[in-house]
Amino acid sequence: MSLRELKGVLLFFMAIGAAAYFGGGGAFASFSAETTNVGSSAASGTLTMSDQVNTGTACLSANATSQNNVNAACASVLALTNVAPGVYGGVAQVTVQNTGSIDASKFYLWAPYVNATLSAGISGTVTSLPITALEGTVTNGDSIVLSFGTHTQTFTANAAASGGATSISVTSQAANFAYPIGTIVVDTSSNTSPANTDCYDAKTTVAGTTGATKGTDLNFNPVTGNPFCGTALIYIQETTGGKNYCWLGKGSSPEAASGMCTAPISVNPSSALSTGGPITSLPVTALNGNVASGDSIVITSGTNTQTFTASANAYFGATAIPVNSATPNFAYPTTSTVIDTTALSSLNPDTTDTITNFNTAHNIIGKIQLFPVTANGTINNAATVELDHFNSGTFSRVFQVGVYLPAPAGINQNPLQGLQSTFGITWHIDQ
Amino acid sequence: MFTRLYRHLHRTSGPSSSTWRLKQMLAALIVFGGLSSLTATGTFALLTSQMSNSRATVASGTFTFDNVVNTGTACFSYGGPSSPGNVNTGCQALITSSTLNYPGVAITPVKVTITNDGSLDAADLSVYMPSCAASATPGAPSPGGADPCATNGAQFYVQETTSTGTPTTCWFPSAVGACSFVASSLHVFAANYNATTSALDLGKGPVHATARYFLIGMQLPATASNALQGEAAVFGLTWHMST
Repeated sequence: MSLRELKGVLLFFMAIGAAAYFGGGGAFASFSAETTNVGSSAASGTLTMSDQVNTGTACLSANATSQNNVNAACASVLALTNVAPGVYGGVAQVTVQNTGSIDASKFYLWAPYVNATLSAGISGTVTSLPITALEGTVTNGDSIVLSFGTHTQTFTANAAASGGATSISVTSQAANFAYPIGTIVVDTSSNTSPANTDCYDAKTTVAGTTGATKGTDLNFNPVTGNPFCGTALIYIQETTGGKNYCWLGKGSSPEAASGMCTAPISVNPSSALSTGGPITSLPVTALNGNVASGDSIVITSGTNTQTFTASANAYFGATAIPVNSATPNFAYPTTSTVIDTTALSSLNPDTTDTITNFNTAHNIIGKIQLFPVTANGTINNAATVELDHFNSGTFSRVFQVGVYLPAPAGINQNPLQGLQSTFGITWHIDQ
Repeated sequence: MFTRLYRHLHRTSGPSSSTWRLKQMLAALIVFGGLSSLTATGTFALLTSQMSNSRATVASGTFTFDNVVNTGTACFSYGGPSSPGNVNTGCQALITSSTLNYPGVAITPVKVTITNDGSLDAADLSVYMPSCAASATPGAPSPGGADPCATNGAQFYVQETTSTGTPTTCWFPSAVGACSFVASSLHVFAANYNATTSALDLGKGPVHATARYFLIGMQLPATASNALQGEAAVFGLTWHMST
């Protein structure tokens, strides 16, 4: 058969088929049956998250004004005032939750770049970026990246900007989009040295107590190089479901077998002690740090003081500290203070676990991957899911974030008086 | 017929086909796309979510104090130079050489008020005398040549009081209640309490926004020799607080 003959045959069959389809469908069969699956659709899931500081309002990634599932303006973790060297600082609990329908295979923690958001929209030729108070310090020549939704643009700073500044001067450039208020602004050249980290120092303008001196009254507390950021220690310990893991701070590298960060405590007895006989447990208000077995626990009321020795570990939230049997030397009331002097002594010489080092070592490049914690001090780094989707598995994880100002022996810390460090923490999940 | 059909189809899909180059390009794209999906999945995430807890703040308190001599002007610890900082060596003198001493007659005690004007409580308060040296009394025609800072020289005390002046503790020479003059006490004080590391411990320092009150007493002994005529003791008192 020639090609021409073949085409003829095929046209013939095509004509039959067409006739059957358009005109003769009902003519062939006496019986027929048919089913139709209507309304099929393919819908994407969601990958969103929330974080909640203590019992505050949950902050959602999905409703950020930058419309890119990045919320750069969640509540501050800490607002500590009147901090003194060698004295318990403070801690906050952060609960991070997957609020989406898709599991997160990766969950990260890192120190953000120097950042802000646009405080006014920009368009046309841009020579200055109006921003909310800058978190960190911008150096002349830094790359300043704007992002809103799917839009992004990089500018170049042509002058330095201090922490708290409300504008960044940039080399003239036409905006590639009308970036509105809320656009995220980050300095991707930052977090490389103590002077250009997300954490920055400023003198306090409000006294720690009414009528007292404040940072701006003093002439011996310069902020150059962010000395307070470079001295204050930070620790982040996971406590999800009673399983502890020290992700950042003393106790994280190498990881303590107990999963404890060295985290100081300052609590009160939950009931008065009795001098009537020995005790093996100190009843206390919920621990705001950890106690390791063997630590010295000092209780003080006025001029009365006594040192107990912890006989077992006690973690964040515990309401009793196991101690070696001893009889209280005073009927310590519930207004007494209970501290762990071993933890303080351990932290005082620490110059490694500073906020500055968090910024330079654990920024987006050195991000901390938050593998699931399977037991105290143990993680599953082969897990395929690190934050389950909403309402399944472990979709909520809990972290304790604390700061302590150490009191290193023999070092005058007057230059750190009246200073305030400001910094951020970023949580990130991937599909 | 089928043989011809096969040959025709083979010709339209083989290297001799006019679409052969296009097919090669499409195949390359398929392979490239396949490799991308197989090898590059770890370098980016299809969906991400992120949030930052911004602007956490940690602020240190202040630890400063002032001293007032009698009803004079407050002298602030932070009023000195920036280095070493929080050290003011220029506060008002307790006693001037115009206040002349006579044997056995105490000068009016000098009131010193130490106020913690910082936001942090003090754990300790101490005082010391960095130096004590003899000097001729200005205008004295013929100084006697003795040293009031030496043994059998001037007498000295440090008395704590209430805000209204009622004696509470005699810190030097150590005594309960009110102080009294003791022989050679200026010499003893200067010899023993002359540095931060050897300061006289005055107990727990004032908590923030509170003050402590002291009286500094001085006299020449009733038995002072003529050699102490026209002689002055030049000394300072340094008050020190720590957290």
